[in-house]
This record gives sequence, structure tokens and C-alpha cells, in this order.
Amino acid sequence: MVDNYETDERPLLETTATDRHRGDQPMNLALEDVSYGVDGTEILTEISLALESGEIMTIIGPSGAGKTTLLRLAALFEQPTGGTIRYDGTDPWALSRDDRLVIRRRIGMVFQQASLFDAPVARNVDIGRRVRWPWPRRIRGFLERLLPRRFTGSPAVDERTLEALELVGLRDAWDRDPASLSGGEAQRVSFARALAVEPEVLVLDEPTSDLDPRNTAILERAIERSRERDHGVLLATHDMHQAERISDRVAVLLEGELVEVGPPGQVFEKPRDERTARFVRGDLLYDDNELPA
Amino acid sequence: MPFELITEPNYLRSVIRVSLTVSLTAIFVSTLVSLPIAFLIGFADFPGKRLVTAIINTGMGFPSVAVGLFVLLFISTDGPLGSLDLVYTPEAMIISQCILAAPVITGVALSAVESVDDAVRDTAYGVGGTRTDVALITLKEARYGVITGILAGFGRAISEVGSVLIVGGNIAYADGTSKTRTITTAITFETRRGEFETALALGAVLIVLVLLVNGIVMRLGGR
Repeated sequence: MVDNYETDERPLLETTATDRHRGDQPMNLALEDVSYGVDGTEILTEISLALESGEIMTIIGPSGAGKTTLLRLAALFEQPTGGTIRYDGTDPWALSRDDRLVIRRRIGMVFQQASLFDAPVARNVDIGRRVRWPWPRRIRGFLERLLPRRFTGSPAVDERTLEALELVGLRDAWDRDPASLSGGEAQRVSFARALAVEPEVLVLDEPTSDLDPRNTAILERAIERSRERDHGVLLATHDMHQAERISDRVAVLLEGELVEVGPPGQVFEKPRDERTARFVRGDLLYDDNELPA
Repeated sequence: MPFELITEPNYLRSVIRVSLTVSLTAIFVSTLVSLPIAFLIGFADFPGKRLVTAIINTGMGFPSVAVGLFVLLFISTDGPLGSLDLVYTPEAMIISQCILAAPVITGVALSAVESVDDAVRDTAYGVGGTRTDVALITLKEARYGVITGILAGFGRAISEVGSVLIVGGNIAYADGTSKTRTITTAITFETRRGEFETALALGAVLIVLVLLVNGIVMRLGGR
């Protein structure tokens, strides 16, 4: 399959997912009875859910419920041990590695901890685009970096990278060393890195769990902008207020089972499942036996 | 008589040339072999991985004279490589230095690769990287450790005496220029002759060369 990223030089904000990629519409994600286990221990049991384009779905649940595993399955890091994941009706795990790569490259993932490479911010952000370049261009880019810029004439940073940084309020930080960034800034750079390749499905694993309110607000705004551009967002969070604030739908995951999916108003105010009600009230946060004497 | 080196620059030049040619070639070959091995072991999970790692680490401490003897047995007339007529040649010295340097480069590079956080690999995969991309990004993140390994291997090779003496023979031509005489074996030779000043001067040259090579490699590595 042919990757068209290398020929696409339009500014990020002017490009829509619909006209960028191979399909006519941004991708839809569906999990059908998906299970996952390791060494005989089942972590997720028969999860079924669907993420539409232009939707923010939040996964809530206590630590150890399987949220991260669910997101890793959705982002095709792991293959389910049962059930099927479908993107636009296609099971990526039934495809060849190359064909699956095409789907993977339409998904963006941000992890709980910002993991930045030992390179300036701009190179962290444009890594996703660089891995999509054909090898001759990558080799040329590598060789150009060995020469002083005045000989190569290449710009220090390209506009698309700056556009991605602008979405998280860090346009001027493109030449900074990752070590000089605060935790919040580093996470925003991670987010810009995911956005820079215009993913049609954004998978976010508690991206704001370690952030202050200001950085959280900036990332939430970026998440909402992804929704405005018709991208699907799957977000795991411990923050009930955040889930209520930005979600279109909330999925409650308890002990590897999806117990309820619905709009925030339903899940938080009129839950249909008793376990959801207990979790929302905080009754499932700990067992009485776990409390200190 | 240290100034003999200056009055006979051909001698000094030929010794330096042999030392650098042998050691840099050995390091080049060792690096080509060692880095893929380090990556394969670092990325793969297989039964016996700890044993393999332990064997590599043991290899870092191979006694050089034992390696020299081992290589000599292999390349001597009755050995399996006897037909190649390698005894007392720079090629034989390259082989022995490869054997000494490879475990050092592999071991240090392996440690560097394994110390790269799993999150880096996840991130490389998550941005749409192929397995090759993930490996290259991991290599880039581990580059300082890998460079350290290569430099440690170079240090081991160029400062080596025992095995190159055995397989190379410390031979100089009739005009005094070196055939298989390296800086280290020349130091040994001059010391035996009581030419301590010459030996000291050669030692200084060796230190300068090592500093120079380290500086160039570190610079190329971006540090």
C-alpha cells in the first residue's frame, strides 16, 4: 500500500482527515467481544463498544480495571486473545503487517507519562512524519543534518510541526531541549507529536493525570478540537469531572468488564448498572479490608 | 634515546600506521558484528537470554595472551586456517583484536539498549514506526552507551600487547619500519632494550592517539 504522507505539505490546520487519507470518512473503531489475557489470567472479558468519528468516549474505572490494556488493544499494540477489533469493519489482525501498518498510522496514541526522545522538541513532534518518509528522503535528511544549515538551505523547523505545537500552545518551544520542559509541557509535546500526523482515531491513556489545571485545560481544548475535526477520541481517565466535562459517552470498566456505556448525564446521575452507581459514589474505590486500622 | 623517534620519523610513522590500521579495522569489523547481536539479544526474549548475556560479559575479561594463543593455533600451519598463511601478519592481529573487542562492544551496547525505557519503544511504535524504525529510534536513544562500548572496545584493542605479540611477532623490516610492530609492542621492545625514554615517548603518542580518536567519535556521536 502506498503512503501519501510524503507528498502532503499542506498546513495542518487546513487539512481535514477526510481529504487526507485513503478512506472517504475518518475511521470508526469497533470492539466485538474483545478479551485479553496473559499467562491464563484474563484482564479484559468480552468488551464490546463502538467509537464513532467525531466522538469523545471516556473510559473510567479504578486502577487495575484494564483501561490501559483496552487502549493498547485499540491502538493495535497488542492482539486480543478473543473477539475482534475492527477499523471501518476491517480486522487489522487479519491483515498483513504492511496493511496493518496503514491502519496503525491512522491512529495516534498518547501515554500517561510523556516519553520524549533525546532530541529538540521539533524533532520529537515530527518523528511520526519522518518515519512515513520513503528511505531516500530519510537518508537525505540524515545527511543534511550532518552539514551546516547554510549549505543545505533546509529550514530549521517546518510549518506543520509548528502548527501541531500551536495546537498545544507551545509554538515557540520548537527548539527547546526536552530536559528543559516541565512535566506539563512535556506531555503537551507528546500530544502535539500525536496530532502532527493527523490521526483519525486518538487514543489517550490518562494524559492529564499528572498535570496542573492549566495544562489540563490546554490538553482538553486540543482534544475538543480533534473532535471538531471529526476525529474519534478514546480517553482513559481517573478524573470523573473531566469525563463529565468533555465526553460524549462514558464507558465504565470494572475488573475487566464493561458494565455500562452511556452519555455522562446517564452514567453519573442515573446509572443503569448498580456497580456503576457504586463506583461513581466511590464505594468501589477500596475494600474495607484495605483501609488502615 | 627518545629523540631517535624524531630523527627516524619513518619508524614512528610506520608504528602508528600499523597500530591504527590494525585497531581501527578490528573495531570496524567488531562493531559490524557486535551491534546487530546486541540488538537481537536486547530486543528478543528467549530462554537462556541471561546465560548468553553472562557469556558475553565473561568475554569482556578474556585474557589477551590466551586469545593470542588460541588464534595462533587456528592460523598456524597445522591449524584449520593454516592455508591462509596469516601467522605474523597484521591480519592475524586484526583477528585477535576482533575477538578481544567484540564482547566489550556487544556487552556495553547490550546494556545500553536494554536500559532504554520501554516507553521509548512504545512511543516509536505508537507514532507509526515499523520494527526497523523502533530499532533505529532505540539505537539513537542508546547512542551514548553504544559509542561508549565502541570506544571501550577501541581502548581494549589499541592498548593490547599479549595477543598481538603472539600472533604478530613484533616484526620490523630491515630499514626499521614496522611490519607488525604496534605502539604497545614497540614500548615493550624499547623497554627491554633499556630505551626507557623512547618507550615513554611512544606511550605519550599512544595516549594522544586514543584521546584523538575518542574526541572524533564523541563529536560524531553529538556529545
